[in-house]
Amino acid sequence: MDNLKYFLKRLLQTIPILLGVCLIIFLLFHIVSGDPTHLILGKNATKQQMAELREQLGLNRHWFIQYLDVVKSAFTFDFGSSWATKQNIANMVKEGITPSLTLTLPAFIISTIFSLMLGVLVAYYRGGKVDRYVRVICICGMSIPSLSYILFFQWSLAYKLGWFDISGYDFGFPNFIPYIILPGIIWIILSIGPDVRFFRTVILDELYQDYVRTARAKGLNEVTVLFKHVLKNTLIPIITYVVIQLPYLILGALLLESFFSIPGLGGLILSALNNNDFPVLKAMAILSSIAIIIFSLITDFLYTLADPRVKLK
Amino acid sequence: MFLVLRSSLTWLLLIFVTASCAKKDDYSQKILYERIEQNVKGFDPIHSNDYYSSREVGKVYEGLLEFHYLKRPYTVTPNLAKEMPQVSKNGLTYTFKIIPGVLFHDDECFPGGIGRELVAEDFVYSFKRLADPKLVATGWWLFDEKIKGLNEWRNAQKDTAISDYSASIEGVKALDKYTLQFVLSKPFPQFLYGLAMSFSYVVPKEAVDKYGAEFINHPVGTGPFTLKVYSPQTNKIEYYKNKKFRDKFYPSEGEESDKANGLLADAGKKVPFLDKIVSYIMVEHNPAWLAILKGEIDEFKLPKDNLSQAITDMNGPTEELKSRGIEVVVERALDVTYSGFNTQFELFKNNPKLRQAMSHAYDAGTANELFYHNQGILAQTPIPPGIAGYDENYKNPNVGYDLEKAKKLLAEAGYPGGKGLPEITYDNLSDTLARQMAEFFSNSLAKIGVKIKPIFNTWPEMTKKIDRQSVQLFAISWIADYPDAENFLQLFYGPNASPGSNNSNFNDPAYNALFEKVSKMQDSKERTELYKKLARLGSEQLPWIFGVHRMNLRLKHSWLKNYKATEFKYGIEQYWDIDLEQKKLKKPQL
Repeated sequence: MDNLKYFLKRLLQTIPILLGVCLIIFLLFHIVSGDPTHLILGKNATKQQMAELREQLGLNRHWFIQYLDVVKSAFTFDFGSSWATKQNIANMVKEGITPSLTLTLPAFIISTIFSLMLGVLVAYYRGGKVDRYVRVICICGMSIPSLSYILFFQWSLAYKLGWFDISGYDFGFPNFIPYIILPGIIWIILSIGPDVRFFRTVILDELYQDYVRTARAKGLNEVTVLFKHVLKNTLIPIITYVVIQLPYLILGALLLESFFSIPGLGGLILSALNNNDFPVLKAMAILSSIAIIIFSLITDFLYTLADPRVKLK
Repeated sequence: MFLVLRSSLTWLLLIFVTASCAKKDDYSQKILYERIEQNVKGFDPIHSNDYYSSREVGKVYEGLLEFHYLKRPYTVTPNLAKEMPQVSKNGLTYTFKIIPGVLFHDDECFPGGIGRELVAEDFVYSFKRLADPKLVATGWWLFDEKIKGLNEWRNAQKDTAISDYSASIEGVKALDKYTLQFVLSKPFPQFLYGLAMSFSYVVPKEAVDKYGAEFINHPVGTGPFTLKVYSPQTNKIEYYKNKKFRDKFYPSEGEESDKANGLLADAGKKVPFLDKIVSYIMVEHNPAWLAILKGEIDEFKLPKDNLSQAITDMNGPTEELKSRGIEVVVERALDVTYSGFNTQFELFKNNPKLRQAMSHAYDAGTANELFYHNQGILAQTPIPPGIAGYDENYKNPNVGYDLEKAKKLLAEAGYPGGKGLPEITYDNLSDTLARQMAEFFSNSLAKIGVKIKPIFNTWPEMTKKIDRQSVQLFAISWIADYPDAENFLQLFYGPNASPGSNNSNFNDPAYNALFEKVSKMQDSKERTELYKKLARLGSEQLPWIFGVHRMNLRLKHSWLKNYKATEFKYGIEQYWDIDLEQKKLKKPQL
């Protein structure tokens, strides 16, 4: 019952959040960007044509009416058509989610599992050689810009060795697999550094708790202490860290998608930014806000599963 | 723990092995692999106002005329028209005969899915679509106020719920099944160029009616290649040879050098030669560069970042390219780069000496070396080489690097050594090259004491500022819409001031009057001379600091045949061929 109440309360809270998001998007676009008609009509746009288009896009209406339009689209999910491409935005988003997720989801799962294992390992060997080497590797890995990894791996593994296609994507399983491996590997390499450092810190924090000393005093071996007691108690920060990243997976990987010609949502956002395509930017901002709200709700429920002492109120 | 790690690594290795099973090349068909630099805005001719979309539209759709593939200077030639039109003595009525028996692509929109015959009425319908205010066609500017009755029809549709396509228009009429007549409302010598551009390509009403808003993704044309459905979120577009394409033949005439270059070897042969085209949308240059080296794409435009890797100081291909059988093709761009003064800005308005001083302080030659590998031609007027009206012997007296003269003029303008001159803002785009060029520009001007403050913008921000006339000085370029000097000279025409194309807001009554006269004249020697005079008149008053007419460099593999550089790329792939034997021999095996 408490959970249901909590769920309804959070659901109600999404309304002002969404209204605020709509207001920010609206103000940003109207203050920063201004009139998009010249961009849409091109270099030969005439004054009359620009005025006609402004009228047709509803840009002449009172700002509050225009704001209400943004709010309406947030609650009906009817985002209309792209100004730049005339395409239906719902179709664009629908088609873009799959390529983005086929790249980001497997890479995210692998990198999280791998990093967690490494995090536990270095925590286990804290202060030792393994810990030092892994930390150095993580810091070095994090210090190199992501673009360098992309350029180097594309040149070495795809061009020189010919193990992968340089870029591209095919829709449908298993056609897409060959195309996501190389960007996936780069994603994993890019994620491991910060992930391992986070997991190591979380586990080490827990290792110095009183109950761990008690467990050791009772004669439990280190593996049991680590996996049965410590790991279980670190679940809450780990869940927070992992689940909060999930909405961003849907939004795709901007650079990776761009360099590997993966037609995901990252590329869609980039192209909308370049074209001042307000309807697409609006749709993506609203959808990502909703995704973040949903996943933070999921995080709260997962807390109750990970730790029965947590009550949602 | 180590066991888990070891098994993870084993899985990763397995994935590597699976992935490394390279795809086999297909030598059974002539397939062209090419790169598109940006997303395509769908396949509706009336919205194809960008380079990339118009090029893709040109593979599927066609117009009455086309730009001759080989002849230079650029000229138009019949395409769906049987011959060039009959033109009335007053130059206002154009009557076309259409080739009978031309078929639209097979599509579900037609009864039985079989493409029907193209008729003159299809052009009438397509022109109404271009004018329909509800569709906000980006190509409407081309025929705005040019065709008798079309603007009136357009205005009448503004207040109706559904546009009335049954109403007849005096200026676009089907006289019979195969005869089409245009009546212009005023002289428009560039009209025939307009008919070769993608905006005026013909579409069938059945497809528009069936697919509605989704027509943009269901191209149904008469062109040499077919495409079933376009997906807006794709990275690859695959076209197939139109098996029902009419008997159209490779041109038998061209420039003198074409025969020696092997460009007339296929003269008189039926086109298209290619079985399939695969167009990859590759936004980033680096993967495209690797792809051409690897032979995964057959041709592409060389990005400036890769210039030094591709061409030597002598402007030939590097050894690496030669060893891979990659050729460099120089393409003369019909364009001009410039830094425009906002001539309505108080500082520049009545101070020609200041503009002259700044013009002489800019070292365009060094900029050409630094940014264009010395491939550009220093501009003296807006008209580029290759267009009637370009005068290669003309030297603009107010253009050319001369620091001493610049300093003297600056003093005469009332700002000796730059004293008293406020800092001038210089709006630019924000990409790397634009930033480097802005840096060079401000350093050049600093040598005479003019302080320049570069401002970097996204394209939307930049157009907004220019439209509002809130810029002082700005870097921009103009690319020809059609190969006529009028398209460049209108950039100085007063009534075209921002948000029109005259973004320097230059306004000289003498220039305006001469432009109005010459823009109505048909092509003639007299008109060419007037173009030259007009270009000098405007350019010597320096609405701009002139940059260069650029040269584009394109790379192509030697197995790609019949490849000629052109600025008008609508449908050119129909003339290209792939030498499969040569490809088998030469494709790099890495």
